Amino acid sequence: MLNRRHFLRNTTLAVSALAAPSILRAQNNKLVINSFGGAYEEIHRRLVITPFEEMTGIKVEVVTAYSADTLSQLRAQQEAPQFDVAHFSGGLETTAALEGLLSPIEPSELRNHDQMYEFAVSGISKGVGPTYSTAVIGLLYETNQINPIPTSWNDLLREGIGEHVLVTDAASNTYGLLSLLMMNHSLGGTMDDLTPGFEFVSKLLENGAVVVSKSPEIQQNFAQGSSWMAAYAQDYAYTLTKAGLPVRFVQPQEGAAFAPITVNLVANRPNREMALKFIDLSIRAEASEGWAEALRYSPTNRTVTLSGEVAEQVVYGEEAARNLVGFDPVVISDKRADWNEEWKRLLVR
Amino acid sequence: MAAIDSVRAQTRQESLFLLVPGVLVLLIAFLFPVGTILITSVVDWTEDGVFVLTTSHFEKFFVDDYYLKVAWRTLRLALVITLATAIFGVPLAYIMQRAHPTLRFIILLMVILPLMTSVVIRTFGWLVVLGNGGLLATLVAPLGFTGRSAVLMHTEAGIVIAMVQVLLPFMVLTVLGVLQGIGRELEEAGRTMGAGFWQVLRVIVLPLAVPGIVSGSLIVFALSLSSFITPSLVGGVRLPVMAGSIYQSIGGSFDWPFAAAQSVLLLAATLLLIIPYARLVRTSQ
Repeated sequence: MLNRRHFLRNTTLAVSALAAPSILRAQNNKLVINSFGGAYEEIHRRLVITPFEEMTGIKVEVVTAYSADTLSQLRAQQEAPQFDVAHFSGGLETTAALEGLLSPIEPSELRNHDQMYEFAVSGISKGVGPTYSTAVIGLLYETNQINPIPTSWNDLLREGIGEHVLVTDAASNTYGLLSLLMMNHSLGGTMDDLTPGFEFVSKLLENGAVVVSKSPEIQQNFAQGSSWMAAYAQDYAYTLTKAGLPVRFVQPQEGAAFAPITVNLVANRPNREMALKFIDLSIRAEASEGWAEALRYSPTNRTVTLSGEVAEQVVYGEEAARNLVGFDPVVISDKRADWNEEWKRLLVR
Repeated sequence: MAAIDSVRAQTRQESLFLLVPGVLVLLIAFLFPVGTILITSVVDWTEDGVFVLTTSHFEKFFVDDYYLKVAWRTLRLALVITLATAIFGVPLAYIMQRAHPTLRFIILLMVILPLMTSVVIRTFGWLVVLGNGGLLATLVAPLGFTGRSAVLMHTEAGIVIAMVQVLLPFMVLTVLGVLQGIGRELEEAGRTMGAGFWQVLRVIVLPLAVPGIVSGSLIVFALSLSSFITPSLVGGVRLPVMAGSIYQSIGGSFDWPFAAAQSVLLLAATLLLIIPYARLVRTSQ
């Protein structure tokens, strides 16, 4: 792996050396960032990018690139980085920080630092940027069929709903993997031993649970009325609600897994001041609030005030936030291939 | 004489020249990637960046009953699908050949039209028919089949049904081509000699149609061995086939060498079955 990466880096170095003059010229009057495209990017513009441009007069150049793509670009550009600020979801920022691609940030460098929940800024001194909002993996349930409201991961085993439970493939879907890790955690399992989690899923399968691998299949199953309960993400529950389905999200008492969305300072760029300003603006309460309202990502800024429906549909407040469980992305990427093998054997018929 | 020779040589060069685009495409789009896969499947990178030859990726496949199970399912499904396609396709092709030209055109249109639609779209159609609350479930509900028993989603039967529909045109068109070459007078002669309808079919039509049925079966078999979209959508993650397993190794576990080894095995299995089959036909002709 290392060698292929070296090769890539060297090739890109050569290419970027050719393009160097234009880069040098561009550095001072613009900030280069990535965003995730589509509706997400539109909201990103409204909440952070446009306010930043208006405040500083600096133009923000947005490159549409998902996390994995952004990471490979950062790796390739290591000697001459092209991004000032990189956004990640799904845990790759930790990998990038370990590889020295991201720059550590001092708490004093961010005005809004003290407003953040501890978990959202715990990695900044190591290069993992602040979590500006977060997806949360808990339980989705069909409000007409499921009564009483589920309170625990164990409710997936509730009598009489066996065939109506949805399990998401952990080998191909990150939210599916986080669900598995969360079930395992709720039963006292650790990252070194996933046996309790695997045994739990095995019971679900014996009861007749259906396994899907992609989000649209979850929507299809809830829409057809065949699924009543599933472990999945809160923002997707909102997608189903918006589609007119009677589906709600609940954070079980044993906790819910969070999948952070982070804003990171790229190492070795000359625009540090400006980039920090951008990051500071990303974590301010208004932005965190905006994400919750628009897409139901949970806020990570303690001073956010939400009301009514929005407050109910995200993880909101000190106590709820304390109940969020994080899983080390480095351990995940180390062990994922082995877990996949075991998972596939569990599933195969 | 010399003039004729030089014209001949020139013609030969010109026809060689016509080969260039095809050979180039084959080289770039087939030989190069397949070669890369072959190499990837037998090498390992060490810590120091050198690569060594290894059979470990293939061993992983054979020592593991999970992958053998996947391979067996793939093979079994391909055989069943081929057989079912022949059972539906051959009579259909015969009827088409005998039908009035207008009717033949209508059936031909019905057979070919699905080919104009993407496999994904056709498979999604099956999801609607076979799934929960789908057409099939609604139809059999009055007969007392409800719940899971009425749903063919995530079953091997569902995969076979959807695949047969996807692959039927290949069988029908191939067999039709051969049947059209059989003179009608052969059948008529048979009938006047006192053979019944079924006897004519069995003794005259079927034996003459064998080359068509064989090539149709070969196409269908090869396509279903390597099919990915329909089995993964209709069958789901709990009924993996080879193509899905290769995809998982690449995108889920990032194990490219093992994915390459599985691809090589799939290719070898296809060749192993197809080459003798094709030989057999050639000698029987």
